[in-house]
Amino acid sequence: MIPELIIALSAGAAMFGVGLYGALSQTNLVMIIMGVELILAAALVNLVAFWRYLHPGEPAGQMFVLIVMAVMAVEMAVGFGIAIARFRSRGSVEMEEARELKG
Amino acid sequence: MTMLALTLLAPLLAALMILVLRRWSAALALVGAGLGLAGSLGLFAIAAGGAAVTATLPFLPDLPIRLIAGPLTATLSLVVATVAAMVLTYGVGYMARDPERPRFFATMLFFVSAMQLLGLAGDWITLLAAWEMIGFSSYLLIGFWHGRDGVASAATRAFLYTRSADLGLYIGAFVLIGAAGTSEISATLATTGTPALIAGLLLLVAAMGKSAQVPLQNWLMRAMAGPTPVSALLHSATLVAAGAILLIRTAPMLPGGALLAIGIVGGVTAVIAGLIALAERDLKRLLAASTSSQYGLMLVAIGAGAPVAALLHLIAHAAIKSALFLGAGIFQHDRDSTGLEALAGAGRARPGIFAGFAIAALALAGIPPLAGFFSKDAIIAATLESPASPWLVPLTLAGSVLTGAYMGRVLRALWSGPVVSALPRIPFMAAGMGVLVALAAAVGLGFAPLEHLLEAEMAEAGLIVPVLGLVAGIGGLALGWFIAPARLLGPLAASAQNGFVVAGGMDGLILRPALMIAAACEAFEQRLLAAQIGLIRGVGLGIARVVDRGDVALVALSLWIGRQSLQLGRGARSTDTNTIDAAIFGLVRRTIAAGARARRLQSGFIHRELALTFAGIALVIGVLLAAPYIL
Amino acid sequence: MTGSFAQVFFLAFFGAAAVWFGIVVFRTHSMVRSAIALLFSQTAVGVMFLLMQAEFLGVLQIMMMATEMSVMAIFMVMFMMDPGGMGAMEMTHQKRLSLWAGGIGLVGALAVIWLAEWGPVALSVPAAADQTADLGRELLGRSMFIFQSAGLTILTAMVAATMVAIAPDEERRQ
Repeated sequence: MIPELIIALSAGAAMFGVGLYGALSQTNLVMIIMGVELILAAALVNLVAFWRYLHPGEPAGQMFVLIVMAVMAVEMAVGFGIAIARFRSRGSVEMEEARELKG
Repeated sequence: MTMLALTLLAPLLAALMILVLRRWSAALALVGAGLGLAGSLGLFAIAAGGAAVTATLPFLPDLPIRLIAGPLTATLSLVVATVAAMVLTYGVGYMARDPERPRFFATMLFFVSAMQLLGLAGDWITLLAAWEMIGFSSYLLIGFWHGRDGVASAATRAFLYTRSADLGLYIGAFVLIGAAGTSEISATLATTGTPALIAGLLLLVAAMGKSAQVPLQNWLMRAMAGPTPVSALLHSATLVAAGAILLIRTAPMLPGGALLAIGIVGGVTAVIAGLIALAERDLKRLLAASTSSQYGLMLVAIGAGAPVAALLHLIAHAAIKSALFLGAGIFQHDRDSTGLEALAGAGRARPGIFAGFAIAALALAGIPPLAGFFSKDAIIAATLESPASPWLVPLTLAGSVLTGAYMGRVLRALWSGPVVSALPRIPFMAAGMGVLVALAAAVGLGFAPLEHLLEAEMAEAGLIVPVLGLVAGIGGLALGWFIAPARLLGPLAASAQNGFVVAGGMDGLILRPALMIAAACEAFEQRLLAAQIGLIRGVGLGIARVVDRGDVALVALSLWIGRQSLQLGRGARSTDTNTIDAAIFGLVRRTIAAGARARRLQSGFIHRELALTFAGIALVIGVLLAAPYIL
Repeated sequence: MTGSFAQVFFLAFFGAAAVWFGIVVFRTHSMVRSAIALLFSQTAVGVMFLLMQAEFLGVLQIMMMATEMSVMAIFMVMFMMDPGGMGAMEMTHQKRLSLWAGGIGLVGALAVIWLAEWGPVALSVPAAADQTADLGRELLGRSMFIFQSAGLTILTAMVAATMVAIAPDEERRQ
């Protein structure tokens, strides 16, 4: 039980919870993306903490972090592209009105 | 051999041709009879020369058909052939207007063949067969006019009487065959002792039947219902002669006791039949009774130990009686009746025929030089010589007297009465009768050579014999001519008229019992049949009922099975619908419902979907974390 | 150990800062403020990286996030109804559910963190230069394939996003 690890992980957990709340509760697409950003950041914190305190010799840990960052970037890019398209067609990105995928 | 064939087969072939062709029956009959006569003459000529013609034809094993034409049998054959030829000639005229002529001639010719076979038989089997055949043809001929009343019953009566007596012949013949070991007649004549006596008595029974001796004489009188030619041929000269012939041929074998019985029977018959003849009112019946009486005299001769005398009288009687019958037939044609009252005076209308009739009548009475005189004297002589003469002589003389009496009566009846003129010409009938009358007159002259031929000369008996014979004959004639029969007979008249019926007569003793037995057998058979049918029916019905019940049970069973199957089916169906179907459709409905409910998850809202995603991830993580602890 | 104490303290501080700024993202009505808050949150995370001696990653995080958040702020202003947040409109839905979800997530994670046996702590960390060199070797060595595919994915994503974002010609002409 290392305090540093616990703290880092706890911070990550809290960020995850907040990000989840935001992703689920926001009506705007951009806000949802922000919530997802938070979740990913929490994941990154966890990864780095684990790397630093349990396996510092492994470069694979850092590589994983790079991957996640790449994913973050891609996700934001594609997400915003979709937002633009949606805004252009509907005039808004409010998720309350987005019922096209209703089964 | 050819003579034998001619004698036997010529009449038979003529009969067949008549049956087939159905025309020219008279001509064919005459040809057949003529050829038969020629054959018979030939046989007699051969036999007279000393040789005997024999023939053996294969039949049953150890029992061949033997034919023998020795002196005795050839003589008999000649007699039969002659009388047959004359009677058939007569028959041409008699049956000229009868539509059933072919049947008549055919049956007569068949009878002639059968009679010849009887006369020429060399073994018992042939004799029995011929005996049967003549009985059968007698039945056919007596019943010729079967459409008329009483004829059929007369024929049946004759057949039954003679048939029942034939039993004696059968048993007697088999006794002889058994005793001798062979069926050849001449061989069996060597039998002696008890078998001979038994056989002799049995043969006497048969002779009594066939020759119409007392007590079996009634059938002959009833047989007069047939046509007169039939009476002339069968019932005077041939068929009734069969009994006498039988006894004459077996005479060498017969022991004393049998001879005595024969003599007594013959004598009694001679008297009783003579009485009956005297009381008769019908000419033909009178002549029939006379025939019985004369054959009684022949049996007396045999019983007296002189079969030759019987043979001589047989020959004479054949010619005489057939002539008398033919005359009666002519008168019957004239008056359409045979009653003596109807025929009164018929003789005077035809003097020629009456003359012939009278000659024959006198011959029968025993007036010399006619044939009857010689034969009657021979009989009287034999009776005087025989050991039983105290019995036989009175009977013989009484018989002779009676013979004269009834003949006289007949002559008187025929002569005295109204005369009807313009009667039709009867060439054939007259010719036939004429020849026989001539024979009746002249055949006596041939008796001595015949005796010589048969090697049975009769001893000279002295003058007493012809005297007795003449006295009896003339006395009888006078009695018959002058005195009415009722007065003659006196108290016996009524019984004589009834034929001396005793204890119901043959009717009650033979006829009715036989018919009753036949009826009883019929009833028994019917009951057997009914029982059989009833049995079969019962069995069949029982089986049917059992089968039916089984069938009903089967039906019930199959119905039950059907119902069970239906139940099963319904059960299966209900299972199907209620459980399986319900389950399946329930599953389907619930799946659809679940799907519908799951659809609500697809709200289209991102946030909801995100929430669900998170829930799913949490679940997966939870399972993964808990797995090591649970599993 | 003072070094560890310092580390613990600063970690706690910047961790809390990250969390607080994250909350601010969603509590504020102004869009720009949300974006800025998120920026700060990400920066705090990057500092945490630095604290945990992942210097390359920390620098990378800060640089990237700064850029990203700026972009996001622009987009926010573009798309939001009320970028300034002057109107007091409720912009949330399924709030309770979200709260519960967040709460459960938090509690669950904390439970795992606090209850798990994390094993011995590794004390020696390679020097930063060594880290980076190892990372580079790792990238171009063992994980070459991963990064190649990652690069391809990024390219595809960029092209796709551009395609999606660019309107068709007739619509643009309108």
